[in-house]
Amino acid sequence: MSLAEPAALPVAASAPPHLHILKRFATRFKTSLPAYLLLLPSLVFLALFTYGAMGRVLVDALYQRATPKAPLRFVGLDNISAVLADPAFTGAVINNLVYAVGTAIPSIGLALLFALALARTNAVTSALRATLFLPVLIPMVAASALFLFIFLPNVGLLDYYIGQLLPVLPNWLGDSDVALYAIMVITIWKNAGYYMLFFLAGLQSVPEDVMEAAHLDGAGPWARFRHITLPELKPTFLFVTVIAILNAVTQVDHVFVMTKGGPSNATNLVLFYIYQQAVEHYDIGKASAATLLTLAALMGLTALSFRTMANREGGA
Amino acid sequence: MLFTRRLMLGLAMAGSMVGALAVPAMAEGPTEIDLFFPVPVDGKLARDMGTLIKEFNDTHPAIKATAVYTGSYDDTLIKTRAAIKAGKPPSAVIMSANFLLDMQIENELTNLDSLIAADGTTKEKFLGQFFPALQGNAVIDRSVYGVPFHNSTPLLYINADKAKEAGLDPDKPPQTWAELTDWAKKLTKREGDKVTQWGIAIPCAYDYCGWMMETLTMTNGGRYYNEEFGGEVYYDTPSMLGALTWWNDLVYKHKVHAPGATPGPAVSTSFISGNAAMMMLSTGSLTYVRDNAKFNYKVAFIPRNVRNAVPIGGASLIVPAGLEADKQKAAWTLIKWMTSPEKSAWWSRATGYFAPNMAAYKTPEMVEFLSKNPDAKTAVEQLDVAKPWFATYKTVPVRKNLEDEVMLVLNGKKQPKEALVAAQKAADETLKPYNAETSLKLP
Repeated sequence: MSLAEPAALPVAASAPPHLHILKRFATRFKTSLPAYLLLLPSLVFLALFTYGAMGRVLVDALYQRATPKAPLRFVGLDNISAVLADPAFTGAVINNLVYAVGTAIPSIGLALLFALALARTNAVTSALRATLFLPVLIPMVAASALFLFIFLPNVGLLDYYIGQLLPVLPNWLGDSDVALYAIMVITIWKNAGYYMLFFLAGLQSVPEDVMEAAHLDGAGPWARFRHITLPELKPTFLFVTVIAILNAVTQVDHVFVMTKGGPSNATNLVLFYIYQQAVEHYDIGKASAATLLTLAALMGLTALSFRTMANREGGA
Repeated sequence: MLFTRRLMLGLAMAGSMVGALAVPAMAEGPTEIDLFFPVPVDGKLARDMGTLIKEFNDTHPAIKATAVYTGSYDDTLIKTRAAIKAGKPPSAVIMSANFLLDMQIENELTNLDSLIAADGTTKEKFLGQFFPALQGNAVIDRSVYGVPFHNSTPLLYINADKAKEAGLDPDKPPQTWAELTDWAKKLTKREGDKVTQWGIAIPCAYDYCGWMMETLTMTNGGRYYNEEFGGEVYYDTPSMLGALTWWNDLVYKHKVHAPGATPGPAVSTSFISGNAAMMMLSTGSLTYVRDNAKFNYKVAFIPRNVRNAVPIGGASLIVPAGLEADKQKAAWTLIKWMTSPEKSAWWSRATGYFAPNMAAYKTPEMVEFLSKNPDAKTAVEQLDVAKPWFATYKTVPVRKNLEDEVMLVLNGKKQPKEALVAAQKAADETLKPYNAETSLKLP
């Protein structure tokens, strides 16, 4: 119904350019009105619960009190520079980078391995897929509470079994050199099954005829994997990597339950640092500033990855 | 755009209409009040609280109290602050006793003096019902801001069977650090490099670690913090250096305490499973140990180096700032009822905390309970030497400044002296804004 209207526009071409633009906007608005109406409910909720909250964080990040009883005053970027100068924040960023790399690579590797092993559907692989997917269904908080007891020094399940082989074992969550890796193990255990689903889906899109042709040309399993499967899975890899990194920043339930960032800040991650600033220090300004920095980093990362993804798809 | 604006207007109008309707509806009938309560220890506390509030509502028809479970002590502080900020504070909260000073500094508490005066009694008389050790955390600037509800002190738990095995008499528990070190050495069992049984376990996780440091420092003659002023802590002092050095020696010199920072639940599990022969833990864990230990155990005072002294722990009832007068009055009725001797005694038996109201121990049920469970008596006796729990401006971060350094020591990464110097420096920095407004604000 609206397709005819833009065609009528050239008639108004003789009018002054200013009016021309206005008119074009009006027409365009009229044509897209149904779309806006359909979007309205979700726009309202987005505005209320996402952009409204983000706006509030932006404002809060600009204010600070000098002393406990002093009123809030505008301080500009002081909160942001205070956060950047805080060794606890830089420590949390470094921990988070180690955590992101150390959880993303093993869990994606495992997920790919699982997906390749279980690509064909039959009764056995279905059962195995369900088993590997099980950790995804357990809430992180519940899983952390379980692992708290698995990791107990001397009496936990882990020490009970490994203790038969090795004489001296670390205090898994109490040793500042080991605690972060103990936390990472849980994340890998929990996420590998989830990422496996994406790879299983990705493997479906590997064209069967190309595979067959390669087979006829005498390409071995490794060559087929290296030159056909992997290139076909590139978009899946990119997508899963983004998800894994987002998870590394947004999932801190286990830190909260198991270590509270300790011992000595060894497992403190950025989101937990923000929680500490807001709740323990009761410093809303600094917490908001740290939130903004994290949001900016995440948005940059997401934009970059989606652009790369679009480029790839365009190129292909 | 036009449509969204109109919609926004409509939403705003609808909202205000709902608000206008809701307010008069609530003014009728009994005064409705909310009580926020945390569950800091394992067990069936939430159900017990339900029983208690139901009894209150049945006996007070003019008030309808609702108990709202709000998680741990820390979570309860967060939720209370969020509710105050949103303009809908709960009428009463069971708040960790060492958060009161920080909340008072932030103007988040109701001064209870006028409510006490309205009852025709005096502050001294009102506070006189409670053990003197508990008053320090309830009174700020000579005004009452909290009413002690359930309290604890740290205790030494001993596996009596293992002590006998090692030729020690569990009826004569160690009273000094020297005796405790000796006991711990005799109770540690090794197979080559591997320790199969630790002599002693002391918890160190955020929150517990600071409390244990205060315990050890106090038994070494120290104070930890300035009880009269929220802007000072005494971390870099001989008394705390002695305390941390001893703890460090238990781990690295005598090798009778596991290295690293071990949280409270890990310590109690270790004790119950026989992996640790002694432990220092809260009286709040007494019921758990009583129900789960498959061996004979003993509880004793925390051994001293210089003097016998322990900090209290636990929670007080508070009334947040910004409440209407009728809710304030209803909350006060609830608080007085909950801290009365009978209810106090009942709650103590249900939870394992001791009852802050001294008269609770004269009720017949309590006398009978104590004769059946003499171990519950030790905690009460230790109250004679108990002192307030550390409370400063920004209690939690100031405590964390120390805990992070203690954890480094227990992990063998720092020596006690350099750790305490760093802790003192960090804490002074955290306390700076408060001092700028008080002790360093000069004419």
